[in-house]
Amino acid sequence: MEPVIKFEDVVKVYPLKSGDVTALDHVSFAVEKGEFISIMGPSGSGKSTLLTLMGCLDSPTSGNIFMGGIPVRNMSDVELTNLRRDRIGFIFQYFNLFPLLNIIENVSFPEMLKSGRGVKEDRAREVLRAVQLDESLYTHTPLELSGGQQQRVAIARALINNPDILLCDEPTGNLDSKTGASIMELMTELNRNGSTIIVVTHDSNVAKYTSRTIQIVDGCIAS
Amino acid sequence: MIFWEIAKRNIRIHLLRSTLAMLGIVIGVVAIASMGILGNSLVSTVSESLKSVGDSVIVTPYSGGGGGFGGGGGSSSVSLKITEQNFQQIKRVSAPNTAIPVYSTSDHMKIGVGSDDIVAAIYALPSDDVPDMMKLQSGGYNNGNSGCLVGATFAKDHNIKVGSRIAIGTDGSKGTLRVTGIIEERGMSFDISTDSALVVTPEWFENAYDRNKDYDEVVVKVMDGDTATVKTNIEKQLNKRKDNKVVSVMDSKATLATIYATFGTVTTFVTAIGGISMLVAGVSIFNIMMMSVNERIKEIGIMRSIGTQKKEVMRMFIYEAAIIGVVGSVIGGILSVLAGYAISALMFKTTKYLLTVANALSVTEGVTFGIVICLVCGIYPAWKAANMNPIDALRHE
Repeated sequence: MEPVIKFEDVVKVYPLKSGDVTALDHVSFAVEKGEFISIMGPSGSGKSTLLTLMGCLDSPTSGNIFMGGIPVRNMSDVELTNLRRDRIGFIFQYFNLFPLLNIIENVSFPEMLKSGRGVKEDRAREVLRAVQLDESLYTHTPLELSGGQQQRVAIARALINNPDILLCDEPTGNLDSKTGASIMELMTELNRNGSTIIVVTHDSNVAKYTSRTIQIVDGCIAS
Repeated sequence: MIFWEIAKRNIRIHLLRSTLAMLGIVIGVVAIASMGILGNSLVSTVSESLKSVGDSVIVTPYSGGGGGFGGGGGSSSVSLKITEQNFQQIKRVSAPNTAIPVYSTSDHMKIGVGSDDIVAAIYALPSDDVPDMMKLQSGGYNNGNSGCLVGATFAKDHNIKVGSRIAIGTDGSKGTLRVTGIIEERGMSFDISTDSALVVTPEWFENAYDRNKDYDEVVVKVMDGDTATVKTNIEKQLNKRKDNKVVSVMDSKATLATIYATFGTVTTFVTAIGGISMLVAGVSIFNIMMMSVNERIKEIGIMRSIGTQKKEVMRMFIYEAAIIGVVGSVIGGILSVLAGYAISALMFKTTKYLLTVANALSVTEGVTFGIVICLVCGIYPAWKAANMNPIDALRHE
């Protein structure tokens, strides 16, 4: 079976006026289906670059990235966007929900992009129940919810299209420790139910929930 | 669709800003459409005034270029006339159309005993041709040798009725005429303006003013063929020598066309001035759309990262511009009809020209222009939003 994500000798260089900066230097690794991985490293080590490449938001300077065995190198912007919509779920540190939409609409957003139709409320409710969000909050707007509740909504939004992988950027970074722990427990449960999850963090407490940790230092995988 | 919903909600959440942008469009549409309505109403009013012109060719003695008719040497004091011989030539080349010889002058006159001395125009044309030239609102055409017809305005201003008597000349030196009929209002015309004038018989006129078949103008009523051909035929026949022209010939149809073209140009000009306010409104829409994009950079980044296509982001902002454009333009269209009503009522004292195809087109043009301006001004901000780097947009604070 093909890995969900495979990096093959990936290099990412940012050309700057003051000189080129190599953010990732010949990085190779694979993520198998059902894995729960944390990516750790100090600031400036290349964690965010790795996340943007895994999320198909950017392309490598050299090397190959495969999503489910398919190389993404020569994909058009439209194809990459569809890939993000259908196969990747993003969870951000600051939740990044749409303030103009209510919870049901926020969760349904990627599904609406995919189907080109309106809100599928049943499906949204199903996912929201899976992330254990109180049903009375479904018609509220994000700003009326607590941080932990917003992150649950963000997780539900990431799950709605049944993606191959969940990419999480410091998912507990903006939450208190108790709420952060509950979010990580939710992720553990999702992983137990089959979701492949990659968490980028510098919090070792978060890494404890994962089954494998990739350490990245100066753009190279250290372990 | 969710992007339509987001566009609507974004306008609602920035209601004051969006309303001000709409106000700009409303003003622009009102300026364009009401200027159009003003121009169209002006043309309608002039058309109404000139409706009696009909298809006619007016022949007058040539007065330009120093040459002259009737043996004149170009002096302005020389009285220019059309001779009977020239009239017969005009009649022949214009056949089967009717050529009507017309005498004209102006003189002092008094209506009733002890009334003030007034000056008015007097026309004389053959009695048989009078019904071709004018209609009566009261009385009869058969005015006899000492009878006359008077124009509607003249009759109204001086309280003249059928049977009234008018003493012509200083102290009635030319004799007294009895009014046999009141001529219907004809408005402006190129041949004879009877509204404030008298119409007498050629016999009376020749006797009173010592004239003998030397006419002041000839009017050809064109029933068969077109006025341009009649004009050309007359010119060919009478103005054979370019350096010694005998007559000036005016084609009423061509003159009307020139007048309408001039009004059309004026309407276009004033509408273009209205268009400037629309351009200013467009700049305001552009500014607001750019603000909207800049405020939502992070939102755009999130959308792009979770699978929104560039064209969908673009569509969302275009919807926003379109809502402002359509709502503003439609309100502007409604207000411009009201403004047109007010302008018509105040300037032309009538609103009967308001509901015309031309005015409907002016309002449609204004509304369409408003919508198009909004869409055009929304394109660049929408394009900018759609083409943002999602990573940079996501990092935006």
